[in-house]
Amino acid sequence: MNRSAILGTLLAGLISGCSSNVTLQTPTIPEPLLEQIPISIGLRMPDNFQHFVHEEKVYGRNEWSIDLGRSNAALFEQLFGHMFAGVRILGPDDDPQLLPLDALIEPSIDAFEFSTPEQSNTEAFAVWIRYRLKVYDREGQLVSNWPVSAYGKSQTTTMGGSEALQRAAILAMRDAAALMIMKFDNVTRISSLAEKPATETAPAVEPESEEAADADVQTTALEGTQDEAG
Amino acid sequence: MKQARRAIQAPVAILMALSSTACITSTVQDARTGVTGINEGESVVIMAKSYHLGNETELKYIRCIEDNLGRGKDGLRVIPHGQFVDSLFPWFEPRTAPAETKNLAKLMARPGVADRIAEQGIRYIIWLDGDTERVAGGGSLSCAAGPGGGGCFGFAWWQKDADYDASVWDLQGLESAGTVSADVSGTSFMPALVVPLPFIARTQAKACKTLADQLHAFIVQDETA
Repeated sequence: MNRSAILGTLLAGLISGCSSNVTLQTPTIPEPLLEQIPISIGLRMPDNFQHFVHEEKVYGRNEWSIDLGRSNAALFEQLFGHMFAGVRILGPDDDPQLLPLDALIEPSIDAFEFSTPEQSNTEAFAVWIRYRLKVYDREGQLVSNWPVSAYGKSQTTTMGGSEALQRAAILAMRDAAALMIMKFDNVTRISSLAEKPATETAPAVEPESEEAADADVQTTALEGTQDEAG
Repeated sequence: MKQARRAIQAPVAILMALSSTACITSTVQDARTGVTGINEGESVVIMAKSYHLGNETELKYIRCIEDNLGRGKDGLRVIPHGQFVDSLFPWFEPRTAPAETKNLAKLMARPGVADRIAEQGIRYIIWLDGDTERVAGGGSLSCAAGPGGGGCFGFAWWQKDADYDASVWDLQGLESAGTVSADVSGTSFMPALVVPLPFIARTQAKACKTLADQLHAFIVQDETA
């Protein structure tokens, strides 16, 4: 190999070293220990749930591209499959009001953020994901609009930052799943939609007794509240 | 050839001798609040306190404690923490895990929790809190390379402190059995005269071995206390 070829290889290595691409493997959440909510729901997910990519240039540092792939969709499909008695995944052309469903849930991603060890001055990557869950009744009325903030953190390993960042993202998804299992019905009152007369809409409620009961667990944020309701 | 080999062997031997006398100090202590002991078929699980509470205990430290507690003919039966957390999902996630023993009764009353814990024979949950940090350092060491070769000159040193606390929860009585703590401080140094010679104090490894040995004694050796 001549000198210019060696220099070219080194230069290519340096250039590729300035950008990091992380592709998340589809996570599998364990079967949760919970009491299933006895209703049938429809789950309608936006396009970015199927292929969410977060790109960010860390100031003065690397350029990051984090491809979450289908991981968000897989998380909600698995989780709601465990949480509700019936789940139907709706396509863009499906009309939920023509289907025998008690409620429709539309999750979306409000925000995705991460920090690198250089930014936090620790040896850990951290990931924050803020989901938004909109719950509609059988008539298509918005009955709950719940922001779910999740956090995951993982230390760097000898395998490198990519693996740690992936693990932090998966931990954030598990964190979101844990929060939803704990508080979904308390915040959204979705179980009340099962037998509700057709003309009523579910009240916008503030979480109360369960909130107090959950105060002894390590809940850290204000995710137990919904910020608006239709 | 033999002379060359001897020339290499001598510094290596000196290096190993110096390494074996690395500058490490350690303190271990326990505070017992209940009677311990473990029966055949019973197991322990090692957990880190939640990072939601600011804890930074390293994953490799948890694995090190697991390995050390389970090692040898007197080793305890240790359930890998990942397996435990998955089997009880979502009740031992960083957000949901009980922060105090007074929350155990409510946790055990949740559907399936007591059964899963019983299936795995878990008698004790050991909660780790703490981390290893670089607390001081100094000196100056610089390296340079050129067409004719390279080398390093100078002297650098750094100190790491590994401070860990372990809270032992007895799931039989749903109460705390006590705490064990290990505080280890190690100073590493690296002189360089063309070739750098690292003398690394294995602070975290020492903290792991020290805490695991004390935890083993705490759990096993107090049947009659």
